[in-house]
Amino acid sequence: MHTTMTSLLAADSPAVMTPTTPHLRINTVTKRFGSFTALDGISLTINEGEFVCFLGPSGCGKTTLLRTIAGLTKQTTGTLIQRGNDISALPTQARDFGIVFQSYALFPNLTVFNNVAYGLRNRRVDRAHIHARVAELLALVNLTGSETKYPAALSGGQQQRVALARALATEPGLLLLDEPLSALDARVRGHLRSQIKALQARLGVTTIMVTHDQEEALTMADRIVVMNHGVIEQVGTPAEIYHQPASAFVASFIGSMNFLDVTVQGSTQALVGSTPCACLPHTLASGQAAQLAIRPETVALSRDGGALKGEVVGIEFLGPFQRVTLHLTEADQTLIADVPSRDSSDLDLYVGQTLAIHLPAEAARLYPAGSSHQ
Amino acid sequence: MIANAFSTSATKPSLESLIRLLALLAGVALLVVGLLFPLVAMLVKSLQDRAGDFIGLANFAQYFQTPALVNSIANSLRVALMTTVAVVGLAFVCAYGITRTCMPGKRLFRMLAILPILAPSLLPAISLVYLFGNQGFLRDVLAGHSIYGPIGIVIGMSFWIFPHALMLLTTALTNSDARLYEAAEALGIPKWRTFLTITLPGVRYGLISCLFVVFTLAITDFGVPKIIGGQFSVLATDVYRQVVGQQNFQMGAVVSVILLLPAVLSFIVDRWIQRRQVAQLSARAVPWQPTANPLRDWIFALLCYTVAGVILLVIGTAVYASLIQFWPYNLSFTLEHYTFQGMADGGWGAWFNSLKLAFSVALVGTLVIFFNAWLIEKSEGYRPLRQGLHFMAMLPMAVPGMVLGLAYIFFFNQAGNPLNWLYGTMAILVLNTLVHFYTVCHLTSVTALKQLDPEFEAVGASLKVPFWITFSRVTLPVSLPAVLDISVYLFVNAMTTVSAVVFLYNSDTRLASVAVLHLDEAGYFASAAAMAVLIFLTSLVVKLLHAVLTHVLLNNAQRWRLAG
Repeated sequence: MHTTMTSLLAADSPAVMTPTTPHLRINTVTKRFGSFTALDGISLTINEGEFVCFLGPSGCGKTTLLRTIAGLTKQTTGTLIQRGNDISALPTQARDFGIVFQSYALFPNLTVFNNVAYGLRNRRVDRAHIHARVAELLALVNLTGSETKYPAALSGGQQQRVALARALATEPGLLLLDEPLSALDARVRGHLRSQIKALQARLGVTTIMVTHDQEEALTMADRIVVMNHGVIEQVGTPAEIYHQPASAFVASFIGSMNFLDVTVQGSTQALVGSTPCACLPHTLASGQAAQLAIRPETVALSRDGGALKGEVVGIEFLGPFQRVTLHLTEADQTLIADVPSRDSSDLDLYVGQTLAIHLPAEAARLYPAGSSHQ
Repeated sequence: MIANAFSTSATKPSLESLIRLLALLAGVALLVVGLLFPLVAMLVKSLQDRAGDFIGLANFAQYFQTPALVNSIANSLRVALMTTVAVVGLAFVCAYGITRTCMPGKRLFRMLAILPILAPSLLPAISLVYLFGNQGFLRDVLAGHSIYGPIGIVIGMSFWIFPHALMLLTTALTNSDARLYEAAEALGIPKWRTFLTITLPGVRYGLISCLFVVFTLAITDFGVPKIIGGQFSVLATDVYRQVVGQQNFQMGAVVSVILLLPAVLSFIVDRWIQRRQVAQLSARAVPWQPTANPLRDWIFALLCYTVAGVILLVIGTAVYASLIQFWPYNLSFTLEHYTFQGMADGGWGAWFNSLKLAFSVALVGTLVIFFNAWLIEKSEGYRPLRQGLHFMAMLPMAVPGMVLGLAYIFFFNQAGNPLNWLYGTMAILVLNTLVHFYTVCHLTSVTALKQLDPEFEAVGASLKVPFWITFSRVTLPVSLPAVLDISVYLFVNAMTTVSAVVFLYNSDTRLASVAVLHLDEAGYFASAAAMAVLIFLTSLVVKLLHAVLTHVLLNNAQRWRLAG
């Protein structure tokens, strides 16, 4: 098994790469379909060996960007540079990548062996080598022994792994995954998520995955590219994306988020109704209407003290925590707080109760008003 | 930014995309030469005098001043409308029996009902002469009316168009949503209202489409009116008479243009309907299953088997007529008519020519049509070319065989046409037949290709496998059932068609279907029947072989289909 991995690794990266060597540079790529702009001046650098996720709601352009990288869609303007070579005008066949589609697109009339060997056969390598290579790949995805089966006889998860083995067979420098897990049920998905991530880390192959599932992106990616309406909203590590969302869209798209209508007051404070609340430094002008974004798990509740008051209007039990819906009495707005189950007994929660609300300044961010619509 | 915009828009042509382009151009060229140019040549001819000078619409003016010719328009419309009403009504009852009742012997009935398609349209006409003609044994049924004329034409056409209508309506009636019927039942709606408010609206597009298909087939058919029409002339026989009888090519072209109109009209209506029909049935629909109702089931069984009985009677009559000495005077058994003494060069040569044509069309046609459909459906780029090819692939459906055949004379027999050498060869018959039956095969291919995963080609390209390898290793094998359907469709049609090829054969390439016509014209009725039966049996054997082959392939070579 160990030799297997080194041989795969050796094929992928001839020299030891530092993590910041760029593999793919996307320069101001724009794609228009008639009057519709699917990609609007996308610029992005993906480093060697990195696992990058394109995340966004459907129609945000993430799949179009992936297909543009694969040469399946031709960009209207802009360039793509892979390992220093301009691939902008190259047809799909001349580009260096392997791809796994959402549907897997396994050839139904070919056995698992022939599916995996599909790209190898064409390279005029001898049969013994093909057999060894296919055996190696099937071992890698834990499907040894399935060589003679047809795709229809495999489970969804197994089909997905055959598609992965087929994509890796020709030792591509770049692996593209187009929503590879969305066709699977939740349990298989969770299992495969870690398998794919581990495989990618072992092989060190630069990988781009498209997904609309934020959990998938947060758990698998080294870096996440959040997209919306054909533009990149933010690029960052999962922690950066979650804790420091660059826009109201990112804040609302990833995880749960409260948005309160506030009035800016100074550079680190805003008024919720008429109650001043501290927040992170921002550049909005005083007196301007804004939105204060704060995650439910950072909201602290207490039985007394504090200036901001709210009435409990709903309590949901969610296992590790309770989700408390509060009505801000004075500001006439709704706020959600996630209270860890072990703290909730101190509060003795019941509907109709009035509680004091603390919004920690280091977790409260201001965004311009009306910008959080997904 | 601006410089950037220009530098990236051009794509370097790769070898593969060059080959793709050449293949597309070849497909376009095939239909331009095999369809567009001949049609244009025909239109031009209708505006010329005998010397070839342009005379505007003078030919048309002359046509409309000749009562004998103009009458044919009304005649054609009359028989086509009567046939449409008879066939669609009958086919609807039978299709309803197949899909909405528990009548016994559905499979057997469906097999029997398909038989007329395997025979040339000349066969029912010949049988009708034996049944109801001057010497016919059922002559009295007509109560003094003659079978030669509209009655014979309508019955004969109804016979061979019936399977087409039955297939269309069975498909339409199969798509039902049980939930609607359950809701109606729960609301206590009477059966007749359920039929009017759920069943009929559910099949309305299929029904309208069927009406137009049947009308087109009826108004353009040549075989039946030629044999049994007598003095009753229709547009299709007028074309033949003007060209073959009177050598008046200009007037033949004029009649062709007129014959083209109803066909084009119904083609447009059909396309319009097909576009509306999309997604009529939601994905969540639950297919309706009939429950037993002895009275209803046996009534439908009786109706269906009466129809099947008539089909067997008509075919049986032709077989019987071909095997007896001389109807009605000497009924002893003989195989003499199968020696085809009425034909100078022997009839078996014609049969062999037909076989050659049918196999060539089935082989070449299937590959060409399926590959062209693949180019249209599954390749990127060259959008105008692909759309143009698709449009031309849809056109042949609107062009009656007589019109296409005559158009070929005008185009290929022109002095100075570099393709003139094709005229009178087997190759021109193959080309003509391929184009004549192109549309249905194209639609079958497109439907099959649309069912495939759209990313097969992308996967192949990403693995750097040339497109023709992915086509032959994956696309073609996966689409094999559709491909086999296309090939047998082409074979049977090439075997039975007479309308287009009647203008294009020469003494070396005379076909079996044309021989039926000539034997009948020469008065060798029993030999004509024998040849028609021979064509029918050939189609039947090939159809059975196709069924066996499909069965074997699906069970062995295509094991993967059963893997799930």
